[in-house]
Amino acid sequence: MNIQNLEKSTWFYLCITLLLFILPMVITERSLQFIIIQIFIFGIFAMSYDLLLGYTGIISFGHVIFFGLGAYTTGIALDRLGATIGSLVIGAFIGVLLAAFVSLLVGMLTLRLKSHFYAMLTLALSGLFLVAAEKWRPMTGGNDGFTFRLPDIIREPNHLYILCLIFFVLIFFGLRRLTNSPFGKVLMAIRENENRTTSLGYKVVYYKVIASIVSGVVASLAGVLYALSLRFVNTGVFATDLTIDVLLMTIIGGVGTLIGPIIGAGLVELAHHWLSSLADVHWIFERWIILYGTLYILVVIFFPLGIIGTIRSKLAGRNK
Amino acid sequence: MDLIINLVINGLATGMLIFLLASGLTLIFGLMSVLNFAHGGLFIWGAFTGVWAYQTSGSFTLGIGVAIVTGLVLGVITEKLIVRPVYGNHIQQILITLGFMLVLQEFIKVVFGPNQKAVFPPAFLEGSFIVGDIVFIKYRIFIIIVGLLVFMVASYILRRTRIGLIVRAGVMDKEMIQTLGVNIKVIFMSVFMIGSALAALSGMLHAPYSGVIYAEMGLEFSILAFIVVVIGGMGSFTGSMLAALLVGLAQAFMAYYFPALSLAVNMILMTIVLIFKPQGLFKVEGGAR
Amino acid sequence: MMSSLLSVKNVEAFIQQYHILHDISLEVQSGEVTVLLGRNGAGKTTTLRTIMGLNKVSKGDITYNGEQIINEQPYRIANKGIGYVPEDQGIFGELTVGENMRVAVKKEDERTTKRMEWILDLFPDLKKYWKKQGGQLSGGQKQMLAIARAFVNENDLLLIDEPSKGLAPIIVEKVTESIQQMKEHATILLVEQNFQMASNTGDHFYIIDDGQTVLNGKMNELQENQELKRKYLGIL
Repeated sequence: MNIQNLEKSTWFYLCITLLLFILPMVITERSLQFIIIQIFIFGIFAMSYDLLLGYTGIISFGHVIFFGLGAYTTGIALDRLGATIGSLVIGAFIGVLLAAFVSLLVGMLTLRLKSHFYAMLTLALSGLFLVAAEKWRPMTGGNDGFTFRLPDIIREPNHLYILCLIFFVLIFFGLRRLTNSPFGKVLMAIRENENRTTSLGYKVVYYKVIASIVSGVVASLAGVLYALSLRFVNTGVFATDLTIDVLLMTIIGGVGTLIGPIIGAGLVELAHHWLSSLADVHWIFERWIILYGTLYILVVIFFPLGIIGTIRSKLAGRNK
Repeated sequence: MDLIINLVINGLATGMLIFLLASGLTLIFGLMSVLNFAHGGLFIWGAFTGVWAYQTSGSFTLGIGVAIVTGLVLGVITEKLIVRPVYGNHIQQILITLGFMLVLQEFIKVVFGPNQKAVFPPAFLEGSFIVGDIVFIKYRIFIIIVGLLVFMVASYILRRTRIGLIVRAGVMDKEMIQTLGVNIKVIFMSVFMIGSALAALSGMLHAPYSGVIYAEMGLEFSILAFIVVVIGGMGSFTGSMLAALLVGLAQAFMAYYFPALSLAVNMILMTIVLIFKPQGLFKVEGGAR
Repeated sequence: MMSSLLSVKNVEAFIQQYHILHDISLEVQSGEVTVLLGRNGAGKTTTLRTIMGLNKVSKGDITYNGEQIINEQPYRIANKGIGYVPEDQGIFGELTVGENMRVAVKKEDERTTKRMEWILDLFPDLKKYWKKQGGQLSGGQKQMLAIARAFVNENDLLLIDEPSKGLAPIIVEKVTESIQQMKEHATILLVEQNFQMASNTGDHFYIIDDGQTVLNGKMNELQENQELKRKYLGIL
């Protein structure tokens, strides 16, 4: 084993991982644990989005499609096939498969297009999925949704926490590996200058499609965990609000950094929690989208690199 | 026969409203390749401010006036504060205009309350009249007439006046038009304002047509306008008219014959166009290149 | 020394990160035709674009009529009286010939009308195809339209980028002739690869090589110097 060769940052991340495993013994309060689980889930979702936006420079406004697919297939499988680990695996597997298929199809058809076309097309497409989920009542329960039972093993909150954490950690290191690989470098080259990457002989569309499939699959896993954490699914998993949330997380945290979107997810989730409890104090907190939206506009104009990106560029500047 | 004619009228009326919304968007895109995702926000602000003025004063005309002024003012704000700082950067543009769209939509709820509002046409446009065996709903005819008027006036300006020629020339080649001594920023600002005013007008006219307005219409109509711009060809004014009518008619007929598909029809139309003719059905020819 | 209408001093310019112009200096005298010569990619087109304000200048000076025009907006530079005919002619394809002219006309007074008449007499084809769409014209007609459009306003200086490009020899002759005639009304800075045309119209020449003005002089002197022609222009 060449442990010495691991990068310093990897050690740092491993330590944090360890801390996160111990955390549920320290924080035993249910509602707080729930928030942390949500941060893991949205961290995963935001990382998958970062792979598209931050690393490849693709703007999708329909990323909820994959999230929702994962959530629905899991919920439906557990509801129809019984609350067993088997049906959970089947549901999650179908969700991942569907997400891969849809992202492949959408990617092949539309990733050749200019960024606005893709953004709008995906936005419209997610609208279609929302409508489909609403109309297919016998299966989805429409807007009211449906609740379902979890398999016994993960009914224990600590177990669910550990399950989410494992996925979170694996996906983080997996995506980190991917973005540092030659494949990841090509993605970044596409982001910087698509034409030049093409003229260097890379099949840009192929790379973009692969990136969107990976991203779609990861997002669907986030959806699976999300359904498990709520034990409930409704059309909200296809709602544009979620797209906005994930955009905010990625942008505020810092695009193209992986760790940034996680921090963004943490901030947004905590803010959700606190702002909604402040709603009694002043009405503006009920309309938190205004605050978020304004913050988001300011970040795009003044800190396009986000929190982590800005810190990194400051540090890099100092080292020079 | 009666049914078909009514579906056509219905489709044309919807199409005209979409045209009012999309025509500005297409010119804005053509001129500066700015795609404004907040365009639907101007639509709802036009609807809400116009309806507010209409319902408090009782004057429909005043409502229309207020909607147009709202559109002009918001157009200036959007161009100066939102679009200009990120001019030339497509990714930032898309991100920021979508954010602004949501802020506009939420502010509607702050100012006018979160509930949807019922709106009725003014007395002189209420009801219907009969020609032969066919019943015409007055308000729909009114919308069609307004849409045609706007189209004719705008077409006249674009085809016959020097300013209009400059706008069209700018869509084709914005570098060349500047070397002919035209300050394209001023032209762009004006087009942005007029486009926003038309979007607001569209929202106001749409209110009594659908009978109800709510904040979330903003994003819905942003998408709809974009679909029309894509189908019509980005930058093509006439294209946006034809595509809007196509979408309006398709929606009307689908809603009657295949209601399950009516929501998907626009998406399907756009997808087909994007795959087979990504420049849209009525592409604007550039300069010599 | 005569005062020059346009004076470019030690100009450097970049396109994105590429350093295209290293050191361009040139003087354009009133009433003359100055020709920029040089191989493909030497920076001739970029020089014209930079004068017109379409490229940022990173170093150096450009004065027109004694006025600094460096890094001004293109429309302001145009309004000072510089007309521009780009390499691709920049015809608005969906506008008719007449509309292309109309877009260019800044104020419709008697003098403009006279210039319009004069230039249309020079290019009768334009009058003939007045209602035809610009995109449907032939290459030569497009070139004439582009020149006419730059000329119709009271512009003292015309920047014309390779008018002979892609044209049949007989049309080149026509364009050459028209430039000779326009000389009486405007000063011209011409980029030209066709040496025949350059020597028939030019009074003064500058040779640009690798983003630098390396040589200048009277056109008739260059015509006789075979070695220079071979070295910089690849003419045998």
